[in-house]
Amino acid sequence: MWETLAQAVINGLLIGGIYALVSIGVTLIFGVVKIVNFAQGEFVMIGMYISFFLATQFGVDPLVSLVISMPVLFIAGVLIQHFLIRRVLGPNDMPQIFLTFALSLLLLNLALMLFSANYRTVHTSYSDEAWHIGGLYIPVAKLIAFAVAMALSGLLWVFLHTTDLGRAMRAASQNRDVAMLMGINPNRVFAVAFGTALALAGAAGSLLMPFYSAYPFVGQVFVLMAFVAVVMGTLGNVMGALVASLMMGVAESLGIQFVGADSGLIVVFALLLLTLAFRPSGLGARRGR
Amino acid sequence: MTGDRKPSAINNAAPTKASRKLTRRKFLAKTGGVLAAGAFGAVPLRGWAADPINIGALYPSTGSMAQIGIGCVAAAKLAVDMVNEAGGIKSLGGARLNLIVSDVQSDTTVTRTETDRLISGNKLSAIHGCYASALTLIASEVCERAHVPIITGSSSDQLNKGRTYTFTPFARASQFAKAQLQMAKLVSEQAKVAVIFENTAFGTSTSNGLKELAPGEGVEIVMFEPYSAGFTDASPLINKVKASGANTLFSLSYLNDLILIVRTVKQVGLNIAINGGSGGFVMPDFYKNVGKAAEGLQGVAHWNHDVNDDAQKVNAEFKKRTGEFAFEYAGGLVAQTFMLADALERAASADPKKVREALSTLDVSSGYAAMAPGGKVKFGPDGKNVYGRPVGVQWQNADLASIFPKEDARAPLMKT
Repeated sequence: MWETLAQAVINGLLIGGIYALVSIGVTLIFGVVKIVNFAQGEFVMIGMYISFFLATQFGVDPLVSLVISMPVLFIAGVLIQHFLIRRVLGPNDMPQIFLTFALSLLLLNLALMLFSANYRTVHTSYSDEAWHIGGLYIPVAKLIAFAVAMALSGLLWVFLHTTDLGRAMRAASQNRDVAMLMGINPNRVFAVAFGTALALAGAAGSLLMPFYSAYPFVGQVFVLMAFVAVVMGTLGNVMGALVASLMMGVAESLGIQFVGADSGLIVVFALLLLTLAFRPSGLGARRGR
Repeated sequence: MTGDRKPSAINNAAPTKASRKLTRRKFLAKTGGVLAAGAFGAVPLRGWAADPINIGALYPSTGSMAQIGIGCVAAAKLAVDMVNEAGGIKSLGGARLNLIVSDVQSDTTVTRTETDRLISGNKLSAIHGCYASALTLIASEVCERAHVPIITGSSSDQLNKGRTYTFTPFARASQFAKAQLQMAKLVSEQAKVAVIFENTAFGTSTSNGLKELAPGEGVEIVMFEPYSAGFTDASPLINKVKASGANTLFSLSYLNDLILIVRTVKQVGLNIAINGGSGGFVMPDFYKNVGKAAEGLQGVAHWNHDVNDDAQKVNAEFKKRTGEFAFEYAGGLVAQTFMLADALERAASADPKKVREALSTLDVSSGYAAMAPGGKVKFGPDGKNVYGRPVGVQWQNADLASIFPKEDARAPLMKT
């Protein structure tokens, strides 16, 4: 019993690390640029395809291809912010919603056209490996993904708290108008925030590739969890999103284990509703805003 | 009519553009038909003694099933080439088969219009198609109304209900479930089966079939669990399978979930036989995706390339053309083409109604037409092959080996 429970928690935490990379991206964009990026999942998908093609064409290990997928998506993010998002930033939310939603549909259908709906997997020496400790097991590929995800989240935290640009981003997320009055260049801050968020999505894609298949709809699977985590962890709060993502992963795993294999999401959403009932602004409310 | 559409005819398609006809007519008039007469005179010398016989092929060569559909079309062309190289239909003066391929785009609506268009636009003797049962059901309805026989490898039992122009030479879906349960006993006399299935129509109906048949086959189902398709992590589910004490796992899943499940079973180090059923599981692509972890996995198919020497020959030629081994549907449809050839031979007519008559009295036990598990084909009144049965297969050395039943086994069961 305890072994099963411990295993379920381990499974949940490991997949929660991936949810965290996606949700931190969403929350960062929402916090700083104040828009909801519905296309975040599609950037995870692009990250996966980048790693897939680097692995199959040039034999690059998916984890190594992180150093390519992240910069590529960072640049893509800066360009999208500069040429698309910037133009719809106004008092009205609707154009922003339509823009990122359209971007999501566009990328999804482009991927369908270019790569077809087939599943693509990459084999690495560690794809099917696991460490066994007592009766428990820890899949190596997921452990690496979790560790790198946590390291990247930590780096982001350091960046946000110790550099001028990071502080400027936090300032913009706390109060955009005052931040601008203090001389912060919003376009620069927005571009970096959007680029960073997409780079995280790219990282999630590369980290997923050793143990998950790439296909055009893959982003949708992860973005749902990410949105739940973002709301639960308080919109715009990076630390909140991280903690909530890990909680969601564990909740889903426990739900599958102890409620029913088709009930993982039921537990997740029950937890979300409970959280919102008692703390309407989410878990990270005290720190943020 | 359909002048702006891409012509679906592949082989020997005559150009139909009005402009070209017009210039040719002018040209003929000017030359007094001398050249035309010469051309007609040359026809018998080239061996075009009889009109070619049109066979329609409906496959999803675009859309979500594109890869499989393209493989089916390659097999259909191979089959037609084989029949033609062997001298065509002799009772019709060596008439050649002419394959007319139509893309049904993995879509039921398109399937209906394409089948209609194929039948109304061409003089067809018979049709084969469409891989997915959902598509074949529609095409077979259209064929029924148009009185054109359709022969198919699709497995839905629905195809044998209330139809007189549909012929199914291979095992039916209901037989697959039974074979799967019997295979569980290959692993252990005390078969304890865990059934996990995605909570969709496909998963629910198939799993219920297994549940109903299990007691009769002496198989105990120790876990019966639906899951949400498209999950991110199979670990919790496999944790449950581990706790159930099962020695065989039936996974009724689509490819992506199945890959995760197989990989997770290996990671957990769980010693359990996995039966992945049919469909995507018995395709070359599955092994490419799963790799070595697929070794020893079991499944069921309506055809396998090692059933007999003829099938091996077809497999070798298919491999040469496409680079992959002949998967069940591809090999099966080569056999189907030869069944059609046999019917045409006996009907001595290209008339679809006469071809249907001849198909209904088909009785073969040798040659390419009989290349099926069981080795014999004879249709009952419901269009079902009375000898049809599935073959149990196992992934061995990156290839699919037939292991069940004894009569069809070509390799011993590999213990995992």
